[in-house]
Amino acid sequence: MEAVKNKTQINDVDRSIYDIKDKVNAAFKTSKGLTFGIVNQISLEKNDPAWMREFRQKALKIYNQLDIPVWGPSLEGLNIEDIVAYVRPNTKLQLKWEEVPEDIKNTFERLGIPQAERTSLAGVGAQYDSEVVYHNVKEEVKRLGVIYTDMESALREHEELVKEHFMKLVTPGDHKFAALHGAVWSGGSFVYVPPGVSVEIPLQSYFRLNAPGAGQFEHTLIIVDKGASLHFIEGCSAPKYNVSNLHAGCVELFVREGARLRYSTIENWSKNMYNLNTKRASVAKNATMEWVSGSFGSKVSYLYPMSILKGENARMEYTGITFAGKGQNLDTGVKVVHAAPNTTSHMSSKSISKDGGCCTFRSAVVMGKEAEGAKCAVSCESLMLDSKSRSDTIPVMDIRNDNVDIGHEAKIGRISDDTIFYLMSRGLSEGEARAMIVSGFAEPIAKELPLEYALEMNQLIRLEMEGSIG
Amino acid sequence: MLLELKEVNKLPVKTFRWLGANKLNINEVIPDIKPFKRVELTGEGVKDIKVTYHNNKESENMPPTGMGDEAAAFICCHKNREMTVTVPRGKKIIEPLFLSYRLDQENPALAEELFLLAEEDSEVTLVITYEGEAGTPLFHGGLIYLMADKNATIHLIQVQLLPDGGIHFSNIGAECKECSKVNITQCELGSSHTVSGIMADLRGNKSELTVDTIYFGDKERSLDFNYVINHYGKNSKSDMKVNGALLNSSRKIFRGTIDFKKGASGSEGAEGEYTLLFDKNIKNVSVPLILCGEEDVSGKHAANSGKIDENKLFYMMSRGLSEGEAKKLMLEAWFHPAVNNIPSEALREQVFQYVKERLNHVESL
Repeated sequence: MEAVKNKTQINDVDRSIYDIKDKVNAAFKTSKGLTFGIVNQISLEKNDPAWMREFRQKALKIYNQLDIPVWGPSLEGLNIEDIVAYVRPNTKLQLKWEEVPEDIKNTFERLGIPQAERTSLAGVGAQYDSEVVYHNVKEEVKRLGVIYTDMESALREHEELVKEHFMKLVTPGDHKFAALHGAVWSGGSFVYVPPGVSVEIPLQSYFRLNAPGAGQFEHTLIIVDKGASLHFIEGCSAPKYNVSNLHAGCVELFVREGARLRYSTIENWSKNMYNLNTKRASVAKNATMEWVSGSFGSKVSYLYPMSILKGENARMEYTGITFAGKGQNLDTGVKVVHAAPNTTSHMSSKSISKDGGCCTFRSAVVMGKEAEGAKCAVSCESLMLDSKSRSDTIPVMDIRNDNVDIGHEAKIGRISDDTIFYLMSRGLSEGEARAMIVSGFAEPIAKELPLEYALEMNQLIRLEMEGSIG
Repeated sequence: MLLELKEVNKLPVKTFRWLGANKLNINEVIPDIKPFKRVELTGEGVKDIKVTYHNNKESENMPPTGMGDEAAAFICCHKNREMTVTVPRGKKIIEPLFLSYRLDQENPALAEELFLLAEEDSEVTLVITYEGEAGTPLFHGGLIYLMADKNATIHLIQVQLLPDGGIHFSNIGAECKECSKVNITQCELGSSHTVSGIMADLRGNKSELTVDTIYFGDKERSLDFNYVINHYGKNSKSDMKVNGALLNSSRKIFRGTIDFKKGASGSEGAEGEYTLLFDKNIKNVSVPLILCGEEDVSGKHAANSGKIDENKLFYMMSRGLSEGEAKKLMLEAWFHPAVNNIPSEALREQVFQYVKERLNHVESL
């Protein structure tokens, strides 16, 4: 007899907190579109040094020469001529929370950012539209010599350090949206951890895009010097509008010899957002890079954190989950280049698609001639909750050395009736059994996150498993 | 003449351009394609089938092929051998049919089109071998359509043992109706450039497809594969196994796609690709895709690359074999499961002999 296949109702992520729109009260914004004039205007507005002004113009030239990706989800709904590249909120950067204007403060209060700062973070940066409105780092962390500031301040106060690293890892020639970023970037965070310093509690930057039809192009530059360690958390959200918003941020991470960096992201952009973000890490000898990534929001995402393992024994770990619901096409994954002996990488990805959502896991593993003794393991699991949805797995492995060990595994499927049956035979209701299986599916990711983020993620994919059958 | 094909072995969905894995561009000088000597089907079962030597099939009624339309059009345009084999309804042909092509100075280029139709409830096994005279530039291009009607079974075994300098491509399109089975075994062991594409549409409910491939790359050899299995029918099943070895400066790209179309509920697809690596200068690219538009399916893929297991090597050496001998023995064992699909003792022996011969010339062993 054919087993009766029941369905569990899994609700969408509850976005009510994120969707509250604030009145747009911008002090300054550029006109829509992208021209040399607009880029120049941003540069003047931000009082860029001459080299940065020149850099922006060069990047715009490259942007105009490059085409949009021919692979990946459609970008047809994104018209750069309709995007406002720069929106300055009506406040200056504040170092005290009390001085942040009431409306902006309320937004971040709702998102729980100041509370998290008090309880579990060593420092916080908050960006509202194109500018960072609040940045603070705990005294004891500052005393260790750790620099944690907004990119604009870093450009003034640590100009040489910024100049040496800025868009050197992700160059504007990388792809069209990296070039766009180079031309109009604004805001973001800069972190420098001196040699041997271990920052025990995480730093966090939160990016909020409030203005409709705007783009956010924050730049995050982190240097973890020899033997140092850091956990950096990035959170992003925006209210939903009827027009497209664009996020083309750039994250450059330099993990020096023997250092360790964990970079965690919970992305919860609204479903009108095109999230075309570029993240890259350069990992030196004996250093470790860990990516933890949760992608829940956006209409379209192109997100593939890349690690270049350039020093002997460098390590990379990636743990990611993607949840795509109605109207979402989330193309996420990971890239790694093994460019030194005995480098190792481990990638574990999970995805859940429901209600017409589309998840794609896309990866690239490259092992060069120098990667003697390198090891790589990729594991990828996808769960389809209905047949309106899609789930694709597109990995590539390019190996140019015989002395390597590489393994790739992928599985795709639905919740198995046998597993449900087993759990029900142990006394669980069918609804409870399904809830347990989905929670268990996401568990390996949840346990990598700091507690309050794991809670947020669980809230996001708690999935309100009501067990409604049929 | 120039063989120029701009877009072959295309991935069903594109990925990062910098990896160069989305498609293959062929630009090779091949011997002129002139009339090729007549080659007949042999084997006990020939009397039970219908063979014609002119295919008048409308290409739009043919299933799509793994290498794509451009490669199919090239053969349609230049074919110098063509054949339609029909296995009548209800005929189960136990003894295999053989088709053996030998390319030489007189017949250096073969562009073959083969259409194999297994009617309802029939079964057939077809073994095609490609061999050639060493020291002569040779070309083989094949376009093979496999159509399995309801409850029919087709076993296709291709053994490619062309000498160095040969250029070989095999372009297959298969269609499986209800409860039918198509099993394809490819032994891609020879020629300097090998390109192989299979596209199979599992249209019928409970239809099945298996692919069992072995390949062997040494010297400057290049191999480019594109296998695409489309699951349309409910409870359809597919299984791809690809085992290969790369030595010297050989390079290989394997694209394997399982595509579960919406409505293919209850289907299962599995793909396993294992590559043994022997030298520093090899290039090994694997692209195992699973595309899924149906919830109630189970898809799995696994890909592994690496050196021969050192423990096994050590064990065999402790039994008195030299390192080279042990490696050769393990390589033969690696190829065994696919070679065992060949339904002829003599041909199996010939394949092993061919591999041995080739291994004798490998300095690193």
